[in-house]
Amino acid sequence: MSHEIIKEKLVQKGAEASLYRGLWFGKEVIFKHRVPKKYRSEKLDKDIRTARTLKEARALIKIKNFRINVPQVYEIDAKNSMIVMKYIKGEKLKDLMFKLDIKKKRKYFKTIGKYIAILHKNGQIHGDITTSNIIITPNEKIFLIDFGLHDYSDSIEDKSVDLHLFKRVLISSHGKDFKSCFNAFLEGYREEHDNSELIECNKIIKNITVIETRGRYVKKEDRL
Amino acid sequence: MKLDKKLCLGIESTAHTFGVGIVDFDGNVYGVMNDIYIPIKGGLHPVLIKEQHLDNFMDTIKKALSEANCSIKDINLIAFSQSPGLGPSLKIGAIVARMLSQLLKIPIVGVNHCIAHVEIGRLMCNIEDPLTLYVSGGNTIVSAYESGRYQIFGETLDLPIGNMLDSFARDLGLSHPGGPKIEQLARESNNYISLPYVVKGMDLSFSGLYTAAKRLVESNQYEKTYDLNDVVNSLQETAFAMLTEVTERALAHTEKKEVLLTGGVAANKRLQEMIEYICNEHDARFEVVPLKFAGDNGVMIGWTGILRYKVEGGHDISETIIKPKERMDKITIPWRS
Repeated sequence: MSHEIIKEKLVQKGAEASLYRGLWFGKEVIFKHRVPKKYRSEKLDKDIRTARTLKEARALIKIKNFRINVPQVYEIDAKNSMIVMKYIKGEKLKDLMFKLDIKKKRKYFKTIGKYIAILHKNGQIHGDITTSNIIITPNEKIFLIDFGLHDYSDSIEDKSVDLHLFKRVLISSHGKDFKSCFNAFLEGYREEHDNSELIECNKIIKNITVIETRGRYVKKEDRL
Repeated sequence: MKLDKKLCLGIESTAHTFGVGIVDFDGNVYGVMNDIYIPIKGGLHPVLIKEQHLDNFMDTIKKALSEANCSIKDINLIAFSQSPGLGPSLKIGAIVARMLSQLLKIPIVGVNHCIAHVEIGRLMCNIEDPLTLYVSGGNTIVSAYESGRYQIFGETLDLPIGNMLDSFARDLGLSHPGGPKIEQLARESNNYISLPYVVKGMDLSFSGLYTAAKRLVESNQYEKTYDLNDVVNSLQETAFAMLTEVTERALAHTEKKEVLLTGGVAANKRLQEMIEYICNEHDARFEVVPLKFAGDNGVMIGWTGILRYKVEGGHDISETIIKPKERMDKITIPWRS
């Protein structure tokens, strides 16, 4: 076993963080570095980066226990706002949306629905569910990533907002598949709730419409 | 005069501006005239705005025509802002447009105000397919063209940014519009006080930030450990950092290569600086719509009207009813598909 930490190459420059591939004691890893953003004031920048790094690391470690696939955390460097985590081989769901047939997509979305339901039942809010934050591995495992906006909450409202944001992303980025994929997602989400939890689950889903009508430029007759 | 060119007269009247623009079918601008309602005290009162528009519309049209050096008879198409906005304002624009269209027997086209902001930016900055950050007193929207529409990737969940800045300035006793004054005061301070930073996915919320900033001014520490400039600076820094982050998220998600900054708040140099920074980071081209065309104006309505007219022809009078609540992502964009 090699005892080296090697940061090899930049693989992705996201909005929030730069991802480097490399080796960490012989393991293939991703270095997720929340780089300083010079556009904002230094104090604000530091606060945001530290808070989100800790949030994400804690979430990843916690969620690992809920039989949901998330990258294993190896090292946390809060001072430099960096997390070292296992490298997940696979493709982003966003890129796969153009390649897969609808049956496959529905199958994936149903599983994603189940995953999100498990998170919600355990009081975990992802905060930024998008098709860019879901990775499908070659052997069809689904990984949830990017927990920087993660939060703990048991409120129906927060869970609905989580689903609402995902719905918005599907409409804006994958309008063609939105209906069938989102329905499959909700199907999986419902299935994960047993009978005693179904009332709460339906409340969450129903509340998405309430959130939508609260938005800007909603016609009077559509308001609830 | 310019009889060889087909001309469109665009009427903007969604809020406090009654704007008239004269533009030809190739996108050359001949006349721009704005009549802007400025409150003596308080905010924008829809009924008072309506009254001013009603008093001044004729004059504004005449001035625009004389700037373009043409007569009303040279106009071939009327475009007006049909949605979204304040009902009383929209009504005046629609009534004037219908009247001119029927009087001159020329076609009429209704235009969505938000789409017009994007289209005039594309024309003026010579930009093809941008991610647009549209920030004004009435709107805060991050949008880009995707599958036949201008999709909204992020937007404010409560107050628009310009509205928030103006309201805060008004609470401090500054006159309308407060945005430019806030920018000036903020420049005097380097002190940052922590304020609520609310980003949900790609959506924003400013109401908590507004309240927290107000509390700073009301606190007993005010003018002891910090002064007005510090509060204003912190408010502006927090709000703009939120906008920039959301824009960057949308940019990374859509992988667009161009970013367009438009709307009244686009005039703010600090915001420009911040958005430009992330554009450099992502190798995207950055453009700010020229101030004259970034705020509400008639030219953008005229030009967007032309784009729609070229593909679909004019609207029937029965279709020109105003839609104060229409979202930009509900409208198809035939000229880009």
